[in-house]
Amino acid sequence: METKLAVYICTGCGIGEALDIEALSKVATKDCKAPICRNHPNLCSQDGVQLIKNDIANEGANVLVIAACSPRVMYDVFAFDDCVVERTNIREQVVWCQKPNDEDTQMMAEDYVRMGAAKAKKTELPEPYKPEQEMSKDILVVGGGLAGLTAALEASKAGYQVVLVEKEAELGGFQKKVAQKVTFPYKELTANDLNQLVQAVESDSGIKVYTGAKVEKISGGPCVFDVSIKQNGSTAEHHMGAIVLAAGWQPYDPANLDGKLGYGASPNVITNVQFEEMFTSGAVVRPSDQTPVKNAAFLQCAGQRDPEYLPYCSSVCCFTALKQAIQIKQQDPDANVFVVYKEMRTPGQGEDFYRKAQQEGIVFVRCQSPEVMVQGSKLTVEADDELSGEKILLADLDLVVLATGMVPATAFGEDFKAVQPKEGEEKEKEDEIKVPADAILVSDILNLEYRQGPELPGLRYGFPDSHYICFPYESRRTGIYAAGCVRRPMGVAGALEDAAGAAMKAIQCVELTTRGASVHPRAGDLSYPEFFMQRCTQCKRCTEECPFGAINEDEKANPLPQPTRCRRCSVCMGACPERIISFKNYSIAMIGDMIKAIEVPEEDEEKPRIVILACENDAYPALDMVGLRRMTYNAWVRVIPLRCLGSLNLVWIADTLSKGIDGVFLLGCRHGDEYQCHFIKGSELSEIRLSKVKETLDRLVLESDRVRFEMLSIADCDRLPALLDEFAARLVEIGPNPYKGY
Amino acid sequence: MSVKVDPNVMKDLEAFGLKDAKKCYHCGNCTAICPLSTPENQFPRKFVRYIQLGQKDKILQSPEPWLCYYCGDCSLKCPRGADPGETMMVTRRYLTSLYDWTGFARKFYTSERFEIMAISIVALLVGIGLLVFNTGKPDWQHASLNSLWPKENIELADLGMAAVLSFLLLSNVFRCFRFVMGDLAYKVPFKYYMDQAKELILHTVTQKRFNECTDRKQWLVHLLIMTGYSSVFLLVVVFLRWFQRDQEIYSIWHPVRLVGYYATFAIMYGTTYAIIGRLRKSKPPYKNSHPTDWMFLILLQLTTMTGIFIHFTRLLDWPFATYFLYVIHMMVAIPMLVLEVPFAKWAHLAYRPVVLYLLKVKAQYQQEQPAEASVAVAA
Repeated sequence: METKLAVYICTGCGIGEALDIEALSKVATKDCKAPICRNHPNLCSQDGVQLIKNDIANEGANVLVIAACSPRVMYDVFAFDDCVVERTNIREQVVWCQKPNDEDTQMMAEDYVRMGAAKAKKTELPEPYKPEQEMSKDILVVGGGLAGLTAALEASKAGYQVVLVEKEAELGGFQKKVAQKVTFPYKELTANDLNQLVQAVESDSGIKVYTGAKVEKISGGPCVFDVSIKQNGSTAEHHMGAIVLAAGWQPYDPANLDGKLGYGASPNVITNVQFEEMFTSGAVVRPSDQTPVKNAAFLQCAGQRDPEYLPYCSSVCCFTALKQAIQIKQQDPDANVFVVYKEMRTPGQGEDFYRKAQQEGIVFVRCQSPEVMVQGSKLTVEADDELSGEKILLADLDLVVLATGMVPATAFGEDFKAVQPKEGEEKEKEDEIKVPADAILVSDILNLEYRQGPELPGLRYGFPDSHYICFPYESRRTGIYAAGCVRRPMGVAGALEDAAGAAMKAIQCVELTTRGASVHPRAGDLSYPEFFMQRCTQCKRCTEECPFGAINEDEKANPLPQPTRCRRCSVCMGACPERIISFKNYSIAMIGDMIKAIEVPEEDEEKPRIVILACENDAYPALDMVGLRRMTYNAWVRVIPLRCLGSLNLVWIADTLSKGIDGVFLLGCRHGDEYQCHFIKGSELSEIRLSKVKETLDRLVLESDRVRFEMLSIADCDRLPALLDEFAARLVEIGPNPYKGY
Repeated sequence: MSVKVDPNVMKDLEAFGLKDAKKCYHCGNCTAICPLSTPENQFPRKFVRYIQLGQKDKILQSPEPWLCYYCGDCSLKCPRGADPGETMMVTRRYLTSLYDWTGFARKFYTSERFEIMAISIVALLVGIGLLVFNTGKPDWQHASLNSLWPKENIELADLGMAAVLSFLLLSNVFRCFRFVMGDLAYKVPFKYYMDQAKELILHTVTQKRFNECTDRKQWLVHLLIMTGYSSVFLLVVVFLRWFQRDQEIYSIWHPVRLVGYYATFAIMYGTTYAIIGRLRKSKPPYKNSHPTDWMFLILLQLTTMTGIFIHFTRLLDWPFATYFLYVIHMMVAIPMLVLEVPFAKWAHLAYRPVVLYLLKVKAQYQQEQPAEASVAVAA
């Protein structure tokens, strides 16, 4: 296709007043050789857009560089079919954050126009990915409990075919054990209406239910998942679009608890789950002799929120204890019921239920570490009452109920790394970059045929989460969404919401994937990684580093990309030492050309240059915000946005420094336990790669201080100017890059 | 030492009018807002905890309920609707019943029927008594109470009643003293009791602690009722021979008349304000009215009103009306004194200043104790 470059410079929003627009246009027409260059006082207006459209129609312009505001705004206005659109940010990142009509400001704007044009020239229009197989929009739900049933029903109601797999012989999951539930509006106990839900699912023609079944194997990716379901010795095959994992939870094993809680010392010490079973099967009695319960105590957080047992809060046990305590009170209003808690956690409207329990006359004791003592069939609890400062005894108890927590179904099974067959002959090279492995437990739920392991990677405590704040329901495997207690501990209300949310994510996934587009967070992106296989050295770097397990391997270790699993973060592109992975609109050469387009002043001009490689998700908007707040930052910097800092290829650093640019500043998201990287480990990988940069610098005989990595969140914009100045000062100290002028 | 939790105490307190203490989740707003709560004597939060845990011993030893004047700030600020002010009020009732060795107070507070019956029986006895024991020679020409019930005889009866009341009240006060002082009761040297005696009088007369509460109006109303009641009590019991006059009408500036008018005004104003407040539930202290609260106000107002009528009938010189009203007046006033003073709401008139006084004694003792101990060691 013949390309024709057109550069448009908007002079609105203060750009025209702060810059020499004529000189800037000259850069476009002379340096960038753009046949068309126009400016407009208000490019985003109907009139401005029409100007561009006329050029597309009449002049054949199809590579458009729009030098105006940040690409984070007006993206819907500057969208033109069949045209490459490159946005050059001379508003937020030039005129709003630099001195107006200053030489340095002008140079910055001119560099950005050059960089934009350089990138645009290399960019091609992406074509949506179409797999060879037929794409399915059907949704597989794994788990037939409350969350799974609801997800299946929601997806079916939205018009999608659903396959539901339940391992037990009957649908219902844990809720079958529950006679009364506590949920909105949290005023009273309500009878469990699970049966209605089960009937609704069973009678729904859009839902195919397998009970007493398990998922034997899943291969492929979103919209091309091939699922084998085993039931009664026979195997059914389904071609599926997306998966909702609602495999539920198991109670924490009370046998592991601290002895002072008395579990096992008396039959009258039971767990909240055992209480639930007892209540559902009849009356609440003292287990040792089946006599009515007159005095009972509930000990909350039994082993929970304790790093030695279950480090987290299961969030429902407070409600469960209140419910069960009220059940005892309703059975016998004269019964004395105590709840011993660390903190009562009944958020939101749940507070009403706590108040109800108080009004029923249940006595609450705040104590961090109660102790159960057994005297024959009677029990005594000794507790430090924090609210009075006294040591108190709850005597003559018939029943002690321990609030043990929820463990997700994914937290069971051996560590995949341990069971993985070792590749014997290959020795670990000293020099090899060690990629932190995903925590995958062989829990026999999904049995994925993925190179990185058969189940979803856990984030913490075995929960298959991706990032609970930014990406609810998402796992680290594209197209597989977790819902219910397998995702995090929750009650009935939470599970219903979760089920609908995960079903919605699954639907989004099949809809986007069938259009060849990426899912969240680059939703709608039509590009995908392409591999130039002739030059592949089978180093496996891409397959190991892909945060989403999107690349399988054949037996010769050739990468087998599964584009429907890909989130387009381009971590693989940064990982590849041979630089054979690229996207139509994002490649190593493109960024390299942008770097090369920067004009580097001579040493005696005393205008050092700094390239900022900024994560487009957090660091780039933070830089925008500096401009929005009209703060000023260093005029030597040139910002290049990256899809993820994980796409950083070390060659860019070599390109930058060998060009005479004085320093490289990498701005990525926080990594580690509280990571904020949109692609999970992109920023972490880039920092690991950076540890190898010394080699490059040594080769160039350069100081390692010329490259700096900083973790930055979107809220850190106020510390950005100082950060940049500090780096610039350090570069001045080191002295100019000796490669200037080469 | 671990103490056993007894949920039955809470159930027991419900008979004394406890309603909302269970709702307390111990945020401590009440203690923070209370102008009278101090780091040494924290209330009402901590006290609510003792109730929830059923620690009867702790409740019995606590002076805190008597430190509270029920201004209602805590109940207004309570985010939970646990009404801590009312809880303090209920514990005052409960403590009154625990201090009382006869068991009468408990019956009084826990049974409305018993209360009404007791008052009716005493009223009837008084009425019959006045009809049976009199001179039988009433003066039908002029309103002359002394012709029917000579003041010397009434004075004698007064003193007898005062002796019985004092005995009952003082014996209960003594029990209160034992509970509050605990082991210290006889350890504290007599000197300290003497030193702090002026506090006892000061507090009794001025109610100055109440004035530290935010709502000054309550202090004023309380002071009016208290001083009005006390002055008229002195008039009818100690100065009866100057008070119960027949023909000789004092001049309007005569001290007895002035005191009488002040008392009448003070009581009528105070009780009317309180009755209207309780009917309208205008502020937290008036929101929950126990039967004994009503009885207290009604009897006091009836006594005063009948007193006013007698005053006028006497001035108008209507003999029959005067004698008739006198009987009614006595039928109201005597049950109030005999029953309410030692056994019910009136008893706080003794307990509150005494407890405040004992606290001061205790504080002085604890402050000076280490000094004395070290002197002893040095010697």
